[in-house]
Amino acid sequence: MPMRWVLFVLAVAGCGGKQQPPTVDRGALRAVGPSELRTVADFDVVGDRGARSRALFGEMARVLTHPRCINCHPNGDSPHQRMAMELHDPPVVRGPADNGVPGMECTTCHQDRNQELTRVPGAPKWHLAPLEMAWVGRSIGQICNQIKDPNRNGGKTLEQIVEHNGHDELVAWGWNPGADREPAPGTQSQFGALSAAWVETGAECPEESR
Amino acid sequence: MKIKINGVDKTLDVDPEMPLLWALRDVLGLTGTKYGCGEALCGACTVHLDGHAVRACVTPVRRAEGRAVTTIEGLSADGSHPLQQAWLELRVPQCGFCQAGQIMTAAALLAVKPKPSDAEIDQSMAGNICRCGTYTRIRSAIKKVAGVPDDGGNQ
Amino acid sequence: MTLPLKLSRRAFLAGLGAGLAVGVMPRVGRAQSPSDKKAAGGLAPHVLIHIALDGTTTIVCHRSEMGQGIRSSLPILIGDEIGVDPKRVVVRQAEGDKKYGDQNTDGSSSIREQYDSYRNAGAAARMMLVAAAAKRWKVKPESCTTENHFVLHRPTKRTLAFADVVEAASKLPVPNKDFVLRPFSELKGIADPKLPLLDGLAYVTGTAQFGADVRFPDMLTAVIARPPVVGGKVARYDAKRALAVPGVRKVIEMPVPKPPWLFQPWGGIAVVADSTWAAIKGRAALDITWDHGPNASYNSDAYREELLASVRGKGTTHRDVGNIDTAFAVAAKTVEAEYVVPHLSQMPMEPLVAVARVTKGQAEVWAPTQNPQANRTSVAALLELPEDKVTINVTLLGGGFGRKSKSDFVVEAAFIAKELGDGQAVRVQWTREDDVKHGYYNAVSAQRLRAALDDKGAVTAWHHKTAFTPIGGTFNDKLDTPAADDLMQGVTDLALAAPNVRAEACKAPLHTRVGWYRSVYNIFHAFAVGSFIDEIAHARSADPREVWLDVIGPARKMSLAELGIPKQPNYGETLDKHPVDAGRLRNVIERVTKMASWSNRKGRALGLAAHRSFVAYSAVVVSVVPDPVRVFRIDDAWISMDAGIVVNQERVHSQLEGGLIMGISNALYGGATMTNGATDQSNFRDARVARIRDVPHRIHTDIVASTEPPSGVGEPPVPPVGAAVANAIFALTGKRLREMPFAKALKI
Repeated sequence: MPMRWVLFVLAVAGCGGKQQPPTVDRGALRAVGPSELRTVADFDVVGDRGARSRALFGEMARVLTHPRCINCHPNGDSPHQRMAMELHDPPVVRGPADNGVPGMECTTCHQDRNQELTRVPGAPKWHLAPLEMAWVGRSIGQICNQIKDPNRNGGKTLEQIVEHNGHDELVAWGWNPGADREPAPGTQSQFGALSAAWVETGAECPEESR
Repeated sequence: MKIKINGVDKTLDVDPEMPLLWALRDVLGLTGTKYGCGEALCGACTVHLDGHAVRACVTPVRRAEGRAVTTIEGLSADGSHPLQQAWLELRVPQCGFCQAGQIMTAAALLAVKPKPSDAEIDQSMAGNICRCGTYTRIRSAIKKVAGVPDDGGNQ
Repeated sequence: MTLPLKLSRRAFLAGLGAGLAVGVMPRVGRAQSPSDKKAAGGLAPHVLIHIALDGTTTIVCHRSEMGQGIRSSLPILIGDEIGVDPKRVVVRQAEGDKKYGDQNTDGSSSIREQYDSYRNAGAAARMMLVAAAAKRWKVKPESCTTENHFVLHRPTKRTLAFADVVEAASKLPVPNKDFVLRPFSELKGIADPKLPLLDGLAYVTGTAQFGADVRFPDMLTAVIARPPVVGGKVARYDAKRALAVPGVRKVIEMPVPKPPWLFQPWGGIAVVADSTWAAIKGRAALDITWDHGPNASYNSDAYREELLASVRGKGTTHRDVGNIDTAFAVAAKTVEAEYVVPHLSQMPMEPLVAVARVTKGQAEVWAPTQNPQANRTSVAALLELPEDKVTINVTLLGGGFGRKSKSDFVVEAAFIAKELGDGQAVRVQWTREDDVKHGYYNAVSAQRLRAALDDKGAVTAWHHKTAFTPIGGTFNDKLDTPAADDLMQGVTDLALAAPNVRAEACKAPLHTRVGWYRSVYNIFHAFAVGSFIDEIAHARSADPREVWLDVIGPARKMSLAELGIPKQPNYGETLDKHPVDAGRLRNVIERVTKMASWSNRKGRALGLAAHRSFVAYSAVVVSVVPDPVRVFRIDDAWISMDAGIVVNQERVHSQLEGGLIMGISNALYGGATMTNGATDQSNFRDARVARIRDVPHRIHTDIVASTEPPSGVGEPPVPPVGAAVANAIFALTGKRLREMPFAKALKI
């Protein structure tokens, strides 16, 4: 099988509608543990620019589909919580502005930073991603196209997406979730670098069907 | 830190990270707001911050700086708030411990949605726990104040 | 003291008794003088009653208010009997003192056990007022009555205010027999279906005084790090970082309890600080290494298997009628099933808390306690003081459900207050985690039921084996099997028509602390029996309602011989006064199924169950509909209860609603589990309870009008609910749930 096909398959592996990060490869890409993100340099081995772009997104998707991130990108009206992505308890709903309903707004309980002794996670402007940014139940290809689409990404350009990924305070929470919560893999800075490299290689998306 | 509490300016000289609940209870002696769980799971500590319901047990005092806090003691001077009156008419409380939080959450709901639907009531009240089981009467009391028909309910 | 405006005088005065507004020192009054006709300035015919010279009537509530409404009921009952104007009555909460008789607010007993004595007390006061007035008018006492704080001479309609006769009345002898009771129909207050809540305004304005609301100037707060495993202790600890937390004043080693546990404090390390937050932070900064002790090998999962093995084996027989073995040998069909219920946590909304201060020779405590006399004895023993130097003040309770009838949390406060000394007031605050992890849980249980059916489907033999960790083991660590008396809760007081019956208690050694939780062993016995009868019905393709009535048998009062037992503790009542009455059990089943339109069941998923507990009879129907996310939703519920004569119907309806909801909570979410001896759950996130979305919009409640003596009210609504819910879910989904919590099996 040609190397490019192998890499293509590897890059989109694990996105058959399931919320699993792309399988850690056993071949071309450097093996890493579940909490480590590959660096941009690790993808230099992928010669074809398009394939490298898709592979970079596949690595970003390990963050996007981690429960710390995807729990607040539900495809329904309730956020999820915990690693098993259970429905949020106490029961809360999206509300008209993605920030809850009177009496049970997100900020009724969530503060601007994690509360350690009381365990409540927090970050500035805690709220749900709007429904058009739902990731639960989507393939990584679908998530990728949503992120690129200004009609569905809050009107962002690719540069703004890179900035958002690398510096937004709410996004940052994914790596600093507090209490005993497992953080997303790697660091926000690495995620930002991968995002920049993905854009720089053409911001290509894996096939939506995989 | 300067905070307006029930309409009165107060100066609090405490750790800014101290939850508002303990500042209200231990420092200011306003014990109407209750400690039920300490982790925003039960709603017994609900107060209003600039009119929005917040759970005082997890809200650091610094978040209230320069803003207005209303506790159950400040909802009315004398129990005359329509929700308080409805609570009494329908004899909602059993042990009474959760009811300040229930009323404050209901007040936040009615301030935005004066005529809530059944689903809206349940969604807004979903986070307030009552172990004595007064939920059906809570719904009825809210509907009474809202002036919406109560085809279910108790009392 | 800031008072709410527009407060009625009665409520104001009651408020003084109930709890003080913020900022005021709680009063530590001397106890009311005993029934002494020479009581200075007034009439004191009974320890619960005092009528002052100006007519103001103080009625003492000697039982703890935890939502069951005793403060709204008991004073009204006594006041009705006296003939008071409710606006002239002050209610005072009693401190813990033997002179008040039994103050243990537990076992649904406050009205049931003392109804006669309350009425007699009120009657005695009335008789003395009437006698004084009759003497002055020179008429016969029989021609007089009382009403609205007046003595009335019926023929002439003359009246005398209580204030005008109280001094004369106080010189008369106090009646101690031949009490003249009012006709029941004249007790207007307790019959009022809209009787107000005594403390209602205080609850809704936040002025009601619960345990943690008791404040003193310069009071300190303590939070205790307790051993995670029962029987564990501190191996070593370092308090350096804790003492460095601003506000922390002292770190104290708690005494180590020795088995049997009784209600001893748990041990551990206390952090004392000038604020709750500092104490919590200080405790988090403690560095403790635990010696977990002998129960560290206890695991709920493994123990569950042990309990099931126990009920599959032989137990001790406590109920025996006929010969079940012969009947099973010739059975046309056999139905059998096993049921498991884990430890359950009471989880009242108010976590445990107690305030204490100790000087040389005297101790005072304020606590939301169900058992102030037991507290007094334990504190006196701890401090080596005579009991009359120990005052236990009872605040309002933010729920009890049995957890607050144990003295552990009160003794902890007394201990720390003693260590601090000099009358330093200290509040020991339990966090919710403390409450969940250091519980006196309801017994964990497994049961095995077997029924033999003949070719017509009649039950010819009934075999019930039950294994549960008996509460007695908390008092006697050698006890590892439920006793005969324990089976009175739903096993040996169950009316059965079957000619062959056997019930056995099987072994269940304790590795945890076990205590009472609203309806106690009835929770799991009713779940098993109620589910099993439904399973029999479905095995027969018969109507569960008909099968219930068949299994119970005809209306009759069952003798010990018919029950197949040598004795029946019967919740402390005689069988004469409170028989095992199959007719009353049938009646609530008939009523509740009629309310639910049971015969119109097509297209609906209904579940039925009934139970006798605390000598009352209750029956429940639950209706469920499908839910796309959570499998099912309870859309309607009905409950009928026969509790004999009831006092304050309005509060009884609220107990029916609340008990039904608690039953739903137990069934869906209940369960405390342990890993390596330590409780797994920590707060409402994993020790889940029913929320508003779990309950139907209306709970239809029915109180059977009865002239039978009062039965228990607070607990009887709970037991039938679990089976009713399980039976409804079966009707909806075909899935039989034999284990709580249902949320685990249904993954919701």
